[in-house]
Amino acid sequence: MKKHIVVVDDESSIRDLLGEFLTLSGYRVTTAQSALEAQRAVEREAPDLIVSDLQLEDSDGLDLIAELKTTLPNTPVILLTGVHFDPKVAKEILSKKVSCYLQKTSPLSKILEEVRRLIGS
Amino acid sequence: MKDKTIGRILAFFLLISAVLAVVAVDSVRNINRSVASSDWVNHTHAVILEANGVASAAQAGNAAALTYLITGEARSQAQARDALSDMFEHLEVAKALTRNEPSQHAQVLRLETLVNQRAEFLRSAMADAKSNRPEAERAYVASDAIGASAGEIQRAVEKLTEEEMALLADRDRASYIQAQTTRWTVGSGVALDVLLLGGVAWLIWTDIEVRRRAAAALREANELLETKVRERTAELASANEHLTTENFERRWANQALEHQVRYNELIIDSINDLVFVLTKSLNISRLNPAVVRLTGFEAEELINHPFPLFARITTAGGAPLADPLSRALIEGHDLRDQRAIVTDKRGREIPVSLALFPLRDRDKVVGGVAILQVLRESS
Repeated sequence: MKKHIVVVDDESSIRDLLGEFLTLSGYRVTTAQSALEAQRAVEREAPDLIVSDLQLEDSDGLDLIAELKTTLPNTPVILLTGVHFDPKVAKEILSKKVSCYLQKTSPLSKILEEVRRLIGS
Repeated sequence: MKDKTIGRILAFFLLISAVLAVVAVDSVRNINRSVASSDWVNHTHAVILEANGVASAAQAGNAAALTYLITGEARSQAQARDALSDMFEHLEVAKALTRNEPSQHAQVLRLETLVNQRAEFLRSAMADAKSNRPEAERAYVASDAIGASAGEIQRAVEKLTEEEMALLADRDRASYIQAQTTRWTVGSGVALDVLLLGGVAWLIWTDIEVRRRAAAALREANELLETKVRERTAELASANEHLTTENFERRWANQALEHQVRYNELIIDSINDLVFVLTKSLNISRLNPAVVRLTGFEAEELINHPFPLFARITTAGGAPLADPLSRALIEGHDLRDQRAIVTDKRGREIPVSLALFPLRDRDKVVGGVAILQVLRESS
């Protein structure tokens, strides 16, 4: 059974590209463009991993993650963002809320490496 | 190679067949000769037998005639006549047997002459004995003709027999030589055929070996090819995977870059103050939408035009200052809270507070960012 990943991003080009890449890498991917869609997807089938953008149209990525964590406390989360955080800030604040924080400028191989580290192949 | 081997094998079988044919023909011929020789031997023995029969009948006729001359018994006379009759019978058979053989036939004819003479003598002696027997008997015995004539017949028969026996010996030698020749021919033929069959077997074995080696080489080549194909396929799959990943990375990098650029633009465009990006020579290279909204100028009308023509820094009393912007960029320091006047498209003058920040790229000033905040009349 392939591991299930929910990818949340309001930019369709990034969402689709990441979904396609993770599918090709052997995962089952559900994409969502908003926090609402993400919540519905998670209710339909609990994922093994959530990959979310920080800035969403209808919510903040960190708020969404906090909500999802109430029902899925053990599901790892990767936060993807185009906003550059100060590394110290990212380590101190974000590491408490997400399993991993990655900038969108990170290469896909790095993202895949983190995915494999968190849920395996 | 295959055709050549088949040709050789066919040639070998043709040779074997030829040898067999030669052996068969020679054997049949020798068998026919043996049969003919056997017939001839039987025929010769028959001639000898008949000749001896003539001699025996002559002896018996002599004895019976002599007995008759001495005793006058009719039985002896009959015996003599029977013996003569037998003698002629044997002679006739011998003549018939030698009819096709001139030398033998000549001897039989000579024997016939002797036999006729002897028969005539005996008949006349027995005829004389009927009328004057003692005289005839004496004359017969005295003449000694019986013995001489019978001896001649015996010698003639012996001579004929000797000649026939010599011929038989010749034939026997010839038969022996012929049998030896037949044995040699058959033996040689069989040996040659065995050798040829051995050659064919060797050819077939060699051909099978060559084919086996060729099949093994082909199998090996196929396995090598399959291995190479597998390796090449794996290489291609790996290269394809690498290319796919590279393609994804490139697209992802483009998306990230676009996102960053858009995000940066968003930050500047979201500011309601007038923001200008200037070159080091103070030409406008970029501006935010607030400039267009406030001044009525389109971006194309301002870009690449000198910024000091658009915004003039003034003293507290409103007099213009001599090029403080250039000096700030050259010296690389900020310029803050400078009063300035901006003239919009309709010619209206708008007082603003100007700040200029040098734009640094790796510690080198490459231009500047000017931010103009509209001053309200009340302030």
